[in-house]
Amino acid sequence: MKIVLVTPLYPPEVAAAAPYTKELAKRMSPTHTVSVVTYSHLPEQLPDVLVHTVKKNQPLPFRLISFFFALIPALRNADICYAQNGPSVEFPLFLASFVTRTPIFIHIGDPAAHVYAKNHFFRNIVERLLFSRAKKVLTDTPLPRPEILPLEEMPEQELVAYERSWTEHLTLLEETFSTYAT
Amino acid sequence: MRPSTAQDEWEKYRETEIQKLGPLLLALGYTLDPEQPHTKGERYLMQAVTTESGQKLVLLGTRTKDNLRAVIKVSSDKKGMQELQHERVCREVLKDIRFAYNIFHTPDELFFGKKNGYLISIQVFIPQERPFLERPLTEQFSLALAAFKAQEGAHATTYGHERIVGKTFGTMRIEDYIRQFEQFKINISRSKPGLVSEELLTHAERFLKENRLIIEQYSGFLTHTDFVPHNIRIQDSTIYLLDYSSLRFGNKYEGWARFLNFMVLHNPPLAEALNEYIRLNRTPEEVLALKLMRVYRLGEIIWYYTNTLDKCTGDLCALNTERVQFWTTTLEHVLADKPMPSEIIEQYQNKRDNLRSEDEKKRQQGLH
Repeated sequence: MKIVLVTPLYPPEVAAAAPYTKELAKRMSPTHTVSVVTYSHLPEQLPDVLVHTVKKNQPLPFRLISFFFALIPALRNADICYAQNGPSVEFPLFLASFVTRTPIFIHIGDPAAHVYAKNHFFRNIVERLLFSRAKKVLTDTPLPRPEILPLEEMPEQELVAYERSWTEHLTLLEETFSTYAT
Repeated sequence: MRPSTAQDEWEKYRETEIQKLGPLLLALGYTLDPEQPHTKGERYLMQAVTTESGQKLVLLGTRTKDNLRAVIKVSSDKKGMQELQHERVCREVLKDIRFAYNIFHTPDELFFGKKNGYLISIQVFIPQERPFLERPLTEQFSLALAAFKAQEGAHATTYGHERIVGKTFGTMRIEDYIRQFEQFKINISRSKPGLVSEELLTHAERFLKENRLIIEQYSGFLTHTDFVPHNIRIQDSTIYLLDYSSLRFGNKYEGWARFLNFMVLHNPPLAEALNEYIRLNRTPEEVLALKLMRVYRLGEIIWYYTNTLDKCTGDLCALNTERVQFWTTTLEHVLADKPMPSEIIEQYQNKRDNLRSEDEKKRQQGLH
């Protein structure tokens, strides 16, 4: 499948959605054609993953327009669009969903932004609009990677649990995507 | 400035100012300690080399009504006052900064204002059970890591972020790092030709230039450029950040680099553990970013001590020459990805302890 990952955050950003998307791209790229559309200046690179970037250091309206125009060509040839929540992605993706027919899946990778949106009039509307265009909204998130601390014992069990959570998460995504793939 | 003049002038300045400040602070309800360790020893030299930041005194005292210990920063110098103002603005902005996910703990402010031509900033003195370096290695590691993660939580990337940052904190981008390193190299070579290998400095400069994109990739993060134990205090596992004037937005690893270079001398196992942490948990690009920043900061410290050589005499001059040699050797090892041999560190520490003045030894007590 050709999968486009859409995210407001990508490494070198450090918030949870960023390492999650990079890890997902890394794990899916051996079996799928994966690309990423994100806001970034110089994103971290992965072999076989193309990262389309929109610079953040421009006023909000220009940022959103640029993101919309970055989404269109990326989504046109894709089988699946898997997007992280967040208004900077939701609004341009909502508009793009009328231009391309690519099935959209939303992942609540930033629960804090989701909670914030519920209490914010405009953000709530933007979120609901995009959710109405999505095939499915997913909340399952694998465990964060346990840190290996040099002065402590290797967190063997946590690493096993981390790997297991990723295996289960990828299985869930594969099953979900294959049902809707164009 | 001739060597003896720098020290004489500082001592004269210190005595005059403390004499005037005593009654002024008393009127505000504060009593100065009879001993002021932070104004003695090598302090005069720091002032002489970093004149850009202006003259100021860091004093210790007590609030008369309740014996509350306080840190009193005072300046009557224009640049010194600007520095104190700037530090306060940084402190305030950081409290409200929307994209700083973590909280920076700050000692409570007791007074900030102008009195008789002096700008006075008084904050609560944070007592700590023991200095950072006297804590167990695992605790030092956890505290340092928590502090770095707190800094990394603030990343200025959007138009709105950059507007806030630009107004308040300084920013360093790739061009600034490269330009400054070039300047360190020129200054070192001109000031003391032959003291530091030209070939080594050129190698370091080339290394920075060849990896400029990596430096840029991790820029825009909040970083404390002088993040070392004497600029933090720890109380009940809470880290209080002192010296907000050294905060800026730059490479994510600039603060790490300063800390690691410092620990090569003061606690090599901690430097090794933090290096290993980065290697095990971060990307290869980040490992390289840390190395690049360490090289940049070593260039800076080599220039810092080279620059003191015309302003000091006797043992202090001999000590600072040793310091230039020590940090040059560290630079060689960092560039070659080799750990500093413990014999070199011990040899330098022995020389340093023999050459340090009694006042400086007193100033160093419990500092780290």
